Amino acid sequence: MLEHREVIWILVKKDFKIRYRHSALGFVWSLLNPLSIMTILTLVFSLLLKSGVQNFPIFLLSALLPWRFFSIGTMQATGTIAGNPSLIKKIYIPRYLLVLTNNLASFISFLMEFVALLPIMMALGMTLTLHILLLPVIMIIEFFIVLGISLALAALSVFYRDFYQIWEIVLQLGFFLSPIFYDPNIVPEQYRFYYSLNPVTRIIESTRKILFYNTSPTTLDLASPLLIALLLLAVGYIVFRRLEPRFAEET
Amino acid sequence: MNVIEVEDVWKKFKIPHERKNTVLDAVASTLSLFGGRRSTFEEFWALKNVTFNVAERGSIGVIGENGSGKTTLLRLIAHVMKPDQGRINVNGRIAPMLELGLGFHPELTVKENAVVFGTIMGLKRDQLKGRIESIIEFAELRRFEDAPLKTLSSGMQMRLAFSVAVETDADIILVDEAIAVGDMEFRRKCLSRFKEFKKEGRTIVLVSHDMNLVTEFCENALFLSKGEIVASGDANDVVKEYVRRVESGLASP
Repeated sequence: MLEHREVIWILVKKDFKIRYRHSALGFVWSLLNPLSIMTILTLVFSLLLKSGVQNFPIFLLSALLPWRFFSIGTMQATGTIAGNPSLIKKIYIPRYLLVLTNNLASFISFLMEFVALLPIMMALGMTLTLHILLLPVIMIIEFFIVLGISLALAALSVFYRDFYQIWEIVLQLGFFLSPIFYDPNIVPEQYRFYYSLNPVTRIIESTRKILFYNTSPTTLDLASPLLIALLLLAVGYIVFRRLEPRFAEET
Repeated sequence: MNVIEVEDVWKKFKIPHERKNTVLDAVASTLSLFGGRRSTFEEFWALKNVTFNVAERGSIGVIGENGSGKTTLLRLIAHVMKPDQGRINVNGRIAPMLELGLGFHPELTVKENAVVFGTIMGLKRDQLKGRIESIIEFAELRRFEDAPLKTLSSGMQMRLAFSVAVETDADIILVDEAIAVGDMEFRRKCLSRFKEFKKEGRTIVLVSHDMNLVTEFCENALFLSKGEIVASGDANDVVKEYVRRVESGLASP
């Protein structure tokens, strides 16, 4: 992978340019999206439903940002092979690089979003503590989760063109099945196990511990998503390698 | 040492009778929901038992009727596809010019595309700057260097692809009908660049229907028909055989 670092860097830059080329506001759009969701959900939950969570905007944003990286990262990567027939058919480049660089571009967007929203979150009453030093670790673990899933999705959607739509539905359900706008403790005990199978659950909880509860995630909070991440990465990579020889014929 | 070694290569394609490539289709045909339709397909051998070598400093022309497997062969050499059987060895860096283009991105500018594909083809960052200039110069696209690629005519895009391919120090250049596009002036420029390549001892694999080109640039040639080698060896002889077959109506099915 090191021998490809220049190609990786150029492809990440290319992805980035394409993402933000078509809007004058560019990056601002990717801030307006979480801010508008935050506003509407805060209105619904604090004012209408009186959920009782103190400082709901922070509670929400601390979960919404990692969720956005998960959903945008995997969605964008789904079409990297199937949507690029001219590249796949005409020139050889290790194909996993296309998925990896797409994920990296999403990751950088995520970091930028986070940095840009940090002052807003602080203005809304978040206190910055040293626990935040653990945040990069959680972000990197999430990156591996996204990469593993993306590899499988990108490869499978070459052969099944409706994978994109299927994944869109999964993500929609995932939004409600992840502790984004509610506390996971409201999930009934007998469903907890199934609930925790969602790979982003613990990522969200750990991020929320740092940004909202001002505590550090436990070792288990880090170890279990790391384990899931490595597992997903292995599965994604195997699926990708198995299907790769026929990419040029099927795109 | 050989630059390209192709040994007993077979390549198969599936021609689906009815294309099924959604999960919905797959589930439906497994469950036989809609009257038990199953996806059926024909197998088609695009290349059969193809063996040849290209020696160092050598060049080879590939000729044959449409659908004879020429492009498939180039794709296999370019590593874009994998053979079902057999072995392909390539010693050196390849600049592929497959089907008129490199897979540029239409939203990026001429310059940005040149940077992306120059890098993919192995140019290092410190080489890139000077090379981009000569790529744009050669393609005669100076005025358009900051225009998105989609605003260029297909001939202009072609020129850019060609320029990137020739400016990247590749040892082997795969040319698939590429120079057929482009105006006469550009074509002349390309051909003289090919001559330089030959002098430098680089390898050209040329797929063309222009027999004069083949005999001019390649000492050897390969005549494919329905995926099999009909004749190979000295380019003049192979071209003669091809012309003889076409004239007697043997080459086309």
